[in-house]
Amino acid sequence: MSSIPAISVVDVHKSFGPLAVLKGVSFDVPRGSVVSMIGASGSGKSTLLRCINHLETPSAGEIYIDGEPMHFRVAGDGQRKPRPIAEINRLRRDLGMVFQQFNLWPHMTVLGNVVEAPRRVRGLKRSEAGELALECLRRVHLLDKAGEYPARLSGGQQQRVAIARALAMQPKAMLFDEATSSLDPELTDEVLAVMRDLARDGTTMIVVTHEMRFAREVSDRVLFLHNGLIEEAGAPEEVFGAPKSERCRQFLSKYLPKYVQ
Amino acid sequence: MSAALAEALNPAVFWEYRAILLKGLAFNFYVFACAAAAALILGLGAALLRVNRWRALRWAGTLHVEIFRNAPDYVMVVWIHFVLPLLLGLAIGRRLEFPPFLSAVIALGLVYSGYFAETFRAGIQSIPLGQIEAGRACGMPERLILWRVILPQVVRRMLPEAVNQFVSLFKATTIVSLIAVPDLMYQVSMVTQQEMRPLPLYTGAALTYFAIVFLAASLVRAAAERWRQKVYA
Ligand SMILES: Nc1ncnc2c1ncn2[C@@H]1O[C@H](COP(=O)(O)OP(=O)(O)OP(=O)(O)O)[C@@H](O)[C@H]1O
Ligand SMILES: [Mg+2]
Repeated sequence: MSSIPAISVVDVHKSFGPLAVLKGVSFDVPRGSVVSMIGASGSGKSTLLRCINHLETPSAGEIYIDGEPMHFRVAGDGQRKPRPIAEINRLRRDLGMVFQQFNLWPHMTVLGNVVEAPRRVRGLKRSEAGELALECLRRVHLLDKAGEYPARLSGGQQQRVAIARALAMQPKAMLFDEATSSLDPELTDEVLAVMRDLARDGTTMIVVTHEMRFAREVSDRVLFLHNGLIEEAGAPEEVFGAPKSERCRQFLSKYLPKYVQ
Repeated sequence: MSAALAEALNPAVFWEYRAILLKGLAFNFYVFACAAAAALILGLGAALLRVNRWRALRWAGTLHVEIFRNAPDYVMVVWIHFVLPLLLGLAIGRRLEFPPFLSAVIALGLVYSGYFAETFRAGIQSIPLGQIEAGRACGMPERLILWRVILPQVVRRMLPEAVNQFVSLFKATTIVSLIAVPDLMYQVSMVTQQEMRPLPLYTGAALTYFAIVFLAASLVRAAAERWRQKVYA
């Protein structure tokens, strides 16, 4: 095993016009580890995740997936060239993304949603892609819903389909952007349980979440984002148990009064 | 008096000329099918221009829509058939003539592409961005997202409106007789000149068109509704 991190974020800046959202963020996600990202609304968590798989283009800085730069490549003469979209699409296959709003394709069945990318993007044969998709649906405990349309599923089930869809690309890492934030509390647990299983199986994950208990139990590392900067980072016991920064303490006290005295 | 009325309404003459009238009706279908295909393809093209990220292309799409959507069918048919060849002929310095069928298809195709473009555009813009980003996140190229994620949903959503536009287009095919495309209306007027029996002939034509449009539209609407309900239940 090499020591190259699965994802390496190096001094990433992102502005929307005059609004600077990310102001120089750096961190590594070692292979097989879970990094949770917490922070107030508007602190730039989604923007950062979206920069990682190029749904947003960073204004500066770079992201490396398994050592490969996501946004540029180094040409023969040592010059940095922005990658053409086809190469970015190829690199994106290595990153599964799960959105707050599920974003399933409503005109396809559950199986259709999961089979689509392996079949059309990776070019697997129908039978291979089908088997792979069923395996992914099994991992999220939805084998029995393979033939349903998303509209007939609960929110928790839809989100698990979205997880299966991302897993079906056999990515090197999974990005979760508030995967449970639009779910009723009683549906949150079934999704968190699936994410726990993934973490236990050694899936590399970046998890943006407001579920502090989950972050505390599952993560190897927790980042607290504030105003586009990592204000605090550390093992979950450190960040939740004894936050160094006053802002982090304030933020956590809203969620976990019992952890912060 | 009532005998005269019965005689005037006697549909036998319509039946007597059924072979030639049916041939005419076939022309309505040919024009309809070709113009519909042209309108769908051009309409989709114009819609894609209108949702493009480049301003000049968006503008071109809007221009297309506004020109053709606001042109009356009849004026377009006449203009394409009589004026356009004249213009082109002057440009290349040679006399030019379009076959009536071709003019009819171009004119109706263009006019209805204006309507279809708007329907396509509204459909495309109604697809939540999240679904498109989910495709991108899976590494799908934009073209694949268009064909697999966007258009299948757009087609379902636009069906009710598209059926209405197809109905209008089919009805509009009756004006092509004015540039001597031998459609049902054209044949009816030819037979009328021979038989001097406009009442049964034109009434028969009206009823025929009505029956076809009514039946076809009802069938397609019912099928479309069932298809939609299956997915969006
Ligand atoms: N496409 C965009 N254009 C302009 N501003 C944007 C865009 N996307 C995000 N922003 C702004 O960037 C800031 C950070 O947004 P972001 O969605 O990253 O926050 P977040 O930490 O994910 O918040 P939340 O917890 O509410 O999801 C916000 O002020 C937001 O308005
Ligand atoms: Mg967010």
